[in-house]
Amino acid sequence: MNYYEKPTPLQESANAEAMIVFAEHMKQFKAHCQSVHNVENNLTRLGNTAFNAALDSSGWAVQTDDGIQWQHGVDLMENVSICHRSKAAGFEFAVVETLPLNSGAKKDVVNSGHDVREVLQAFTRDQRLTFKFWKDDVTEQVREHLAEKYPHQDMSIVVESFEIKLARAISEKQTLAQNHSRGVRI
Amino acid sequence: METIPKNEEQSTAAPTAPPAERLAYSVQEAADMLGINYYTMYRLIQRQKLKTCRVLRGKLLVPRTELLQLLQTELR
Repeated sequence: MNYYEKPTPLQESANAEAMIVFAEHMKQFKAHCQSVHNVENNLTRLGNTAFNAALDSSGWAVQTDDGIQWQHGVDLMENVSICHRSKAAGFEFAVVETLPLNSGAKKDVVNSGHDVREVLQAFTRDQRLTFKFWKDDVTEQVREHLAEKYPHQDMSIVVESFEIKLARAISEKQTLAQNHSRGVRI
Repeated sequence: METIPKNEEQSTAAPTAPPAERLAYSVQEAADMLGINYYTMYRLIQRQKLKTCRVLRGKLLVPRTELLQLLQTELR
């Protein structure tokens, strides 16, 4: 619930009920936000590890669906890893995603480039956009669910509370950074 | 006059029509059909590998044709 308006008992019970219905969505959303925050927080370390793996030419072979051969470098999150290959102009790095479809795994290059740090940064930027799609969609699902369950009732405050929770999960890194900087100043 | 007992069940049962194929699915349903989690679905949407639509500004819907196209691309 938001801080500006006091919810009615019906809105409170609707919120509690929707929290149960969308518990798995919320849990998954927070977990995935956390794994992207982990990549963001360890960008330098991951970049160095991926670069060293390229220097050593280590890692198992990965063939993406476009036919390009890569070598596995570092796992970024579930089904997503950074791979490398050697080219005349130097190393090329790529974020490769494995789609474990029912009909077989598909390997896609999400983004690639010669600067491993830029590749990682582009990846985390894309993930933030993905979270926006996810957040907006879950919010709409909550709105739809409440409209069906509580017709002709104003449940906007409940929908808003979900939207705030999801937005907070996305921006957790910034919040942590702000708290930290406050701590330093004091 | 002889009366024939009426079979209630037979008289009321409508012939079962095959279920109409849906035109679009929610992200969750589409993820279940493809066997992937919904975060991956949203990633595919963000990367425009899957086109979606909304009805009346509602939740995202993945057209059936998009799912078939994704699978066909994969089978090529």
